[in-house]
Amino acid sequence: MITAFIHQFSSAKSFVNITEKLYPFFLIVGVSMLILGWTWGLLFAPQDAVQGNSYRIIFLHVPSVIFAELIYFFMAVCALMHLVWRVKLAAYLIKSAAPIGAMITFMGLLSGSIWGIPTWGTWWQWDARITSTLILFIMYLGILTLHGSFSNLEKADRLMSILVVIGVVNIPIIKKSVDWWSTLHQPASISVSGGSSIDPSMLYPLLISVIGLGFTLIALGILSSRSYIFTREKNKKWILEHV
Amino acid sequence: MFNLAFDNFNEILDMDGHGIYVWSVYLIGISIIFLSFLIAKKRIVDIQKKINKKNASS
Amino acid sequence: MLRLVKAESFKLSKKLKSWLGPLLIMVLVLIAFPLSIDISQFDLAKFYFSIIVVSLLMTSFVATEGMFEEDFEDGSLEQEFLIEKDFYKLVLSKIFVYVCLIGIPIAFIGALFSFANGVAIGSFASVFLLLSLSNLLLFNLFAFGNALSINKGAMLGVLSSLPLALPIIILLGTAVRSIQFGDGFVAIITLMTGIGLLMSAIMPLIISAALKTHID
Repeated sequence: MITAFIHQFSSAKSFVNITEKLYPFFLIVGVSMLILGWTWGLLFAPQDAVQGNSYRIIFLHVPSVIFAELIYFFMAVCALMHLVWRVKLAAYLIKSAAPIGAMITFMGLLSGSIWGIPTWGTWWQWDARITSTLILFIMYLGILTLHGSFSNLEKADRLMSILVVIGVVNIPIIKKSVDWWSTLHQPASISVSGGSSIDPSMLYPLLISVIGLGFTLIALGILSSRSYIFTREKNKKWILEHV
Repeated sequence: MFNLAFDNFNEILDMDGHGIYVWSVYLIGISIIFLSFLIAKKRIVDIQKKINKKNASS
Repeated sequence: MLRLVKAESFKLSKKLKSWLGPLLIMVLVLIAFPLSIDISQFDLAKFYFSIIVVSLLMTSFVATEGMFEEDFEDGSLEQEFLIEKDFYKLVLSKIFVYVCLIGIPIAFIGALFSFANGVAIGSFASVFLLLSLSNLLLFNLFAFGNALSINKGAMLGVLSSLPLALPIIILLGTAVRSIQFGDGFVAIITLMTGIGLLMSAIMPLIISAALKTHID
């Protein structure tokens, strides 16, 4: 029953049709919330008592790092679906999400690196979380390289899925690295279970930025997956009718 | 909560000397996101053109 | 299983480059490093173990390079699949043979150099045990990288499996620190043994799935 359900809702055709309608919603809501969150954070949120105004980088840095990990997690779920139920769409989604994941991880690393100058006095530290995020970035590149190395795309899809599933072991290591190893990094400011150590005047714009970036990335994901689906299925009848 | 944290435009740009870090991060971030959208959009247009061409020839 | 272990040992022992190469590289790197710095200026013993760890990473990758390539090219993999319907036993015995014939001697060389350079992180036996366990983990991971890239070159294998190997290096660093501070050695060794056994049980399954994809 599960297999039938998955196959019914996971055809590339229905994905393209559904996401075509959802794309403007995600784009408009995402960009509006980003503008709101970033304007609030950059101009209206109060200055931090310790870090001064440099802390305002948080409104881009934290959402980027959150999504760097979440996108990988999403890819791992897709990889499992592809390996277990042989859902083709899942492989397409992994291939489309990987460059976005690499891009957002790079953004997280870069913003963190720039934030490091006024806060720690250095661009780079061999700090646990930075290092593990760098590993995540290399993993994204590895996945893309692996997929690009095989001319047989079905084989490439399967190998990529296997690598993604194995690589997901690194995510909890990244998540817990700050707690496990001695580090320069501040402990996580927001937690799902344990509340947050950040003032509401800074927390609200941060949350809005996180949701805004999430919606924007979903819109970007829709766009990039559609172009990849078109490329892979260009010989199918439904694509010819759709385009 | 909604009071402007700065007194004038120069303060906003300078942010007590941290402006260069803060604004450069946002500038780079926005550029990367914008570029990603542009690239994705261009890819869709390219592949659509290809498919249309194929459609027309067949 | 014994048949496979025997066959793999025979095959590997015949390939001189495959088992002697990594051992010589390990020795050369460990000799080259002190020559490249002014040892009168630096306390070599302080950071020599880090060089051993990096050499271990490098040589274990070189050792596993092309682990499945020849079998894939000459059709042995396909033949094995027809007999066993699975690669689990083949992969398990391959990794076992590689660890025994290359991994353990590399660990021995590492421990020897660490002892000779006065690295103060415990006895010869404890360093040897630590390096052997690290090799077990690294060989499993790099075998996975090789199974993914199979005949597409070593670089692809590195790119796919090296990020996964970095947490092991971090763990090894933590182990060294705890040994230096005189606590937690048994805990770290137990943890590494646990991870090693778990990986040795699971990795052949995953590698087998990757190999099946190649011959499909």
